[in-house]
Amino acid sequence: MKKLFPVVIVGAMLFLAGCGASSSPAPSSSSGTPSASEKQPTIGVAIYKFDDTFMTGVRNAISTAAQGKATVDIVDGQNSQPTQNDKIDLFLNKKVNALAINPVDLTAAGVIIDKAKAANTPVVFFNREPMASDMQKWDKVYYVGAKAEESGIMQGQILVDYWKAHPEMDKNKDGTMDVVILTGEPGHPDAIARTKFSVQAIQDAGIKVNILAQDTAMWDRSKAQDKMAAFLGAQGEKIEAVLGNNDDMALGAIEALKAKGYFANNKFMPVVGVDATAPGLQALKDGTLLGTVLNDAKNQGTATLNLAVALSKGLTPSKDNAGYEITDGKYVWVPYKKILKANMADAQ
Amino acid sequence: MKTNNATNANRVGSFFFQYAIYFVLVFLVLGITAIDPSFWSINSLHDILLQSSTRAIIALGAAFVLITGGVDLSAGRMVGFAAVLSASMLQIQEYSHRFYPGLPDLPLWVPVLIAIFVGLLVGLINGVIVSRFSVPPFIATLGSMVAVLGLNSLYFDMKPNQSQPIGGLRPDFTSTLGSGYIGSGVYSIPYIVIIALLVAGLVWVIFNKTILGKSMYAIGGNIQAAIVSGINVKRVLLYVYAAAGALYGLAGVMEAARTGGATSSYGNMYELDAIAACVVGGVSTAGGIGTVPGVLVGVLIFGVINYGLTYIGVSPYWQLIIKGLIIIVAVAFDIRKYLTKK
Repeated sequence: MKKLFPVVIVGAMLFLAGCGASSSPAPSSSSGTPSASEKQPTIGVAIYKFDDTFMTGVRNAISTAAQGKATVDIVDGQNSQPTQNDKIDLFLNKKVNALAINPVDLTAAGVIIDKAKAANTPVVFFNREPMASDMQKWDKVYYVGAKAEESGIMQGQILVDYWKAHPEMDKNKDGTMDVVILTGEPGHPDAIARTKFSVQAIQDAGIKVNILAQDTAMWDRSKAQDKMAAFLGAQGEKIEAVLGNNDDMALGAIEALKAKGYFANNKFMPVVGVDATAPGLQALKDGTLLGTVLNDAKNQGTATLNLAVALSKGLTPSKDNAGYEITDGKYVWVPYKKILKANMADAQ
Repeated sequence: MKTNNATNANRVGSFFFQYAIYFVLVFLVLGITAIDPSFWSINSLHDILLQSSTRAIIALGAAFVLITGGVDLSAGRMVGFAAVLSASMLQIQEYSHRFYPGLPDLPLWVPVLIAIFVGLLVGLINGVIVSRFSVPPFIATLGSMVAVLGLNSLYFDMKPNQSQPIGGLRPDFTSTLGSGYIGSGVYSIPYIVIIALLVAGLVWVIFNKTILGKSMYAIGGNIQAAIVSGINVKRVLLYVYAAAGALYGLAGVMEAARTGGATSSYGNMYELDAIAACVVGGVSTAGGIGTVPGVLVGVLIFGVINYGLTYIGVSPYWQLIIKGLIIIVAVAFDIRKYLTKK
């Protein structure tokens, strides 16, 4: 038994290592016909983590856009910057023609740019914007993403429109919108921007905002449901609107509201989210979710791939060869879209 | 007369140690009520019970394994897998992104039983690895934790779903195992609370009234003595891990029904919440000690912390610190109970 133990440990470690290794190449997709793939550029794509709903949409868009244009090798950073850096080293070793990086930690971009520059491999960052000082380090560094504050502003505007059209939303008739906010991971730039700018957009429309409660639900549906139940217990009828930093949390809040009798017998609560996920759209259709904001995964993925392909061919990306407007020589801004029940089709 | 005082103090002391965790629960509730008196309501109780139901079932599963002196790290990921499995087969027909586009409406119990059965199967594999191959439970379940996440991710990433959250669950499912309740208004009991109580009752019977239960405690207390006294340790361990797996499967199904959706990240770290609830509830990580009421109180303590501290607006960072302190303090007190016995 005791002699067996080390054998068992080593066995278990090998098993684990096997799992870790096999998890990365398995989902990587090679596109295009095998014969053509030699001529096609190879793009090394690193995603911060695979089980993020939105980034999965971007990942799928990259794979689709690559068909016939490039071979893409997509790896999972497992939400750990050291892991992602190891995989980038691997890409550079394999001499990929360009990198497309969705960094785990945006402050790590500087190091990644240094590595890429040393290997003369162009980099397109996407979805998490590196600091401007890092972006200036080299001319073959680009960024594709959306302006996070825009999603918050649109969330606020959806509530403003509803407030103006439905005066009964101001339950206590004090002219102030009493909201609760479910935020994403503390410190996450999107969570901060969405929280701040959604409130600001309501204020900019001349409506006072009172935040009754605000807490993190870590982007998670089940956590949001529990937090919302506590908010409802403590604040009850005082709550006039719910802002979720993403759809999953907005949907969790809706489940908690349903348990308290909302969305039946004319009892309504305006809830807004961000992402326009499939379950979010279903909730729009059901009339439980008031609105969401589409973070355009398809165009972010396509723009990222197009830029990487252009760069791998030695071209300077432009509207002509990449299909997207380049701002300030380095940036492609993919706009958000407000999605309500009326224009749901835009998000499908 | 002189000695009377001393023994009285002793009695008060031992009484306090015996029921330390119950005092922690009462103290928490009173403390939160003192800060915001409106917390003291049937509504709060209702919400806390609702939120604690799935956690109680997972913790009871974890208790099976802990009592035999093992530990089960695969709990959380099995909850996630069961949630995804059941949700994928229980979507409404008109949902635009169905996991199985052509699947007809199955009877409710089919996907539910499939998910529970898969949980049981993984538990059985854990049991085989631990009992037949003598792999330490920590390692065996660490392996299955990672492998189950991989399996779940593969399933979740299948076309046409491709890792999108599974939504549009059938109302009969979300009501029966999620939001539905008996009674009305404040005097209602959600079905999932009833399910949790039934499971707790069943587990209580297994722990206290069956040979399997007695054998579990014997193995956890002293495995050599258990072998010598003729207990079939391998078979008992097999049953224990399988039972735990089935409970995780059930909890996963309920988690999907309660939230009306599922993703592959469901259940992340639930195993640690379950183990924390168990040890706070007086289950010994060394094995051989633990009761069903203790586990339920442990779960309720965390339920009160999660709900109550959010209720009075305590920052989430402080909530983590308070949780950590309660785990340590509760166990430190609890261990004295056994030290003084010796």
